[in-house]
Amino acid sequence: MSSWLANTISEAEQVQDWLSPKRAESLAQLKNTPWPNRKTEAWRYTPINVIERARFSAANDTVVQATAIENLDSIDLVFIDGVFDAQASTIDFPEGLCISQLSEGGSCDWALDSFKKTKPNKHFFGLINDALATSGVLIDVAADAKIEKPIRIVQSFNPGSQSHTRILVRIGAGAKACVVEQLQGDKLCFNTSFAEYDIGESATLEHYRLAMQCQAAISIGGSHFSLAESAQLTSNLIGFGSQLSRVDMDIIHAGENATSKLNVIYLLDGRELFDLHSSFEHTVPHGTSDQNIRCIVADHANAIFNGRIHIHRDAQKILASMNNRNLLMSDDAQVNTKPELEIYADDVRCAHGVTIAEIDEEAMFYLQSRGVSRPDAQVMLSFGFINELVDQMPNIAIADWLRPQLRQRFANMEIR
Amino acid sequence: MTDQLDEALHREYEAGFVSDIESRTFEPGLDEDVVRRISAMKDEPQWMLDWRLKAFALWKKMPEPDWAHIQYDKMDFQSISYYSAPKSMDDRPKSLDEVDPELLATYEKLGIPLIEQQQLAGIAVDVVFDSVSVVTTFREKLKEQGVIFCPISDAIREHPELVKKYLGSVVSQKDNFFAALNCAVFTDGSFVYIPKGTRCPMELSTYFRINELNTGQFERTLIIADEGSHVSYLEGCTAPQRDENQLHAAVVELICHDNAEIKYSTVQNWYPGDENGKGGIYNFVTKRGICHENAKISWTQVETGSAVTWKYPSCILKGDNSIGEFYSVALTRGAQQADTGTKMIHLGKNTRSTIISKGISAGKSNNSYRGLVHMGKGAKGARNFTQCDSLLIGDKCGAHTFPYVESRNPTAIVEHEATTSKVSDDQMFLCRQRGLDPEKAVSMIVNGFCKEVFKELPMEFAVEAGKLLEISLEGSVG
Repeated sequence: MSSWLANTISEAEQVQDWLSPKRAESLAQLKNTPWPNRKTEAWRYTPINVIERARFSAANDTVVQATAIENLDSIDLVFIDGVFDAQASTIDFPEGLCISQLSEGGSCDWALDSFKKTKPNKHFFGLINDALATSGVLIDVAADAKIEKPIRIVQSFNPGSQSHTRILVRIGAGAKACVVEQLQGDKLCFNTSFAEYDIGESATLEHYRLAMQCQAAISIGGSHFSLAESAQLTSNLIGFGSQLSRVDMDIIHAGENATSKLNVIYLLDGRELFDLHSSFEHTVPHGTSDQNIRCIVADHANAIFNGRIHIHRDAQKILASMNNRNLLMSDDAQVNTKPELEIYADDVRCAHGVTIAEIDEEAMFYLQSRGVSRPDAQVMLSFGFINELVDQMPNIAIADWLRPQLRQRFANMEIR
Repeated sequence: MTDQLDEALHREYEAGFVSDIESRTFEPGLDEDVVRRISAMKDEPQWMLDWRLKAFALWKKMPEPDWAHIQYDKMDFQSISYYSAPKSMDDRPKSLDEVDPELLATYEKLGIPLIEQQQLAGIAVDVVFDSVSVVTTFREKLKEQGVIFCPISDAIREHPELVKKYLGSVVSQKDNFFAALNCAVFTDGSFVYIPKGTRCPMELSTYFRINELNTGQFERTLIIADEGSHVSYLEGCTAPQRDENQLHAAVVELICHDNAEIKYSTVQNWYPGDENGKGGIYNFVTKRGICHENAKISWTQVETGSAVTWKYPSCILKGDNSIGEFYSVALTRGAQQADTGTKMIHLGKNTRSTIISKGISAGKSNNSYRGLVHMGKGAKGARNFTQCDSLLIGDKCGAHTFPYVESRNPTAIVEHEATTSKVSDDQMFLCRQRGLDPEKAVSMIVNGFCKEVFKELPMEFAVEAGKLLEISLEGSVG
């Protein structure tokens, strides 16, 4: 472990607040967890020595600003380098919604229980986040409350900054909410951002993680969900790769008849890397899960996907599927994918599929023969490849805001 | 269903007898001296001993791998005997008539009709009993065609130039923990060389049997198909029923030169242990082949035995237009654990590979497919298709899939599909409606499930494999 990180961690050991018991637990685990390397299965394709090489500090002069999403009427919570920006944030909340800062967690009766409840303990940087997270937000949606406006948590990062944020969300029984996690910044910085969602009985969550940090940024994080009986989750992840981007999505079906859906799009260019680990844990019978991962890789980029469906003993009558499709756009790009099934119950139906290929040359020819230029044809075809998932987004404003950005990214991609 | 399943789990292992054959066995233990003694027993030249010692030095520094989805008590490598030979082997038989009748009876029991086959003139057989090759049939007849088929210990003495050139060229001494151990202590195995442009006139076959208590079997197979040649090779294995776990760590190397083709089929029926997981063979095998231009290697395996299986027959598709195939049926029941699959390393242009893997889990067993498809930078226009299907019988077993897919070339196309299901009520209903009893119905459905693989097996083996599956599934019906 690099010295700056070791220093930060030893400083964290001194902090006394409501999280101290959990922090001590994670610090103890961290001591027994070796620094990941290529031999560590979870980091097999992702070199993390960039974290050791670079140098980061805690806070900086603010130069970045949160990007707005056009036509999206949302409840905004803005963090710059992990520090809450009250001025840029919304202050009044609708009935049934209680939002407080992570530092105020001591007065929240549920916060301590929710911390580390759904996030798996084996993630090295997850443990670092446990130990170092001093800022973040607690969102509590009362039972049966229907929060119409999306809750948007925007995080921007200055060059050279280091930050660790934690988001805890509790959605009461029968409630409905939409949460958008938006991360942005293209300069070298190091941030870990983990979110834990506790979705109550028959509650519905619409979730977006817009992991749009790019270029030199180093971003590690994850969104972890626990679904109670008949709960519903629709999650969308958009990833722009960066020097090092790693996202873990864990979905635990803790109650029967829960439904979850995960749609992921990632577009990589240059020397970017995006590493997605998704895991669906079906611990109880009766449940449906579906994941769709589409990925386009250009130039020297590296796309990594590790998907897992785990059906526990006696968790019968599960329908689970995983579909991973990859488009390779250049000779130097690479895709590393590993869709896993781990099944201990017999009356289930599980399937996964993976394809890796380039854009269909016949389709390119067809468009070119009709007068579309090769670059335009490429944009059309690759955009069509992912637009299917963009179209499925329930929030039209977010989808409309994303499309031109995605199209712009295609236009910039190197044409073979 | 569970009752009937339990009944099935109590089915006896039919090859579980012990042959009362006097044998000479090394004291358990492993050190450099044992390696030297094995080499001396085999009357090996110095270069072979040096090669073994190098492997042994490497092995000592290697950690035992723990990444596979299997659980077992770690082995004590000092409690295993690394050499066991039937005593009557000291004056090696020249033909079948001179072989110890007890030995022949053993093979008779196993259903390996050595003598019969001599008459049928169908298959040339090399038989490896514990650590040594007992008899190789049709050796002379094959020689006429230039085909060399003999125990590897003979090949080391008689064809050193070939062995020196190819041994360890595909699976090196430092390849992995079990391969390194094999390199140091391998005792026998088969050696095949098919000369240029020759189509081997008959199927070659080896039967392996572990007989002695507390011994490990470490055989080494080396098959070289020279340019434009063709060979089909079969391998079968059994072991007696014992309470202790026995280790089998084999290495198979295939070298397939330009335009050649090797077809390698295995029916593995080592003793799987009892229903509680006591005893049984630990099967840790490294099998790999290299394909040069336009060459083709086809692995077909039917895995029904062993307490623990750790086996990944692989193809390195180095030459342009080469083809790799992997067809596998793995059946686990009782407390068996299997972690098996393949690696297809595409390096050359227009290389193609097909992977069809069928896993059937019953009882309390765990069956995993673990595979790698790698498209290298130079694998222009390469193509892979993978299909792995799992069938679960009973609610206490597990079926898992761990495929690694890596692509470095945009023109390469990779497709991977996997499904998991059980024998559906609809299928059962349909069969029973037509008057089939449940047992027959399941057997039929499972046979259908495995059909794509069975059709790849040579005829004699396909029949054996079907039967093996049928016996293994007996009673596991609901």
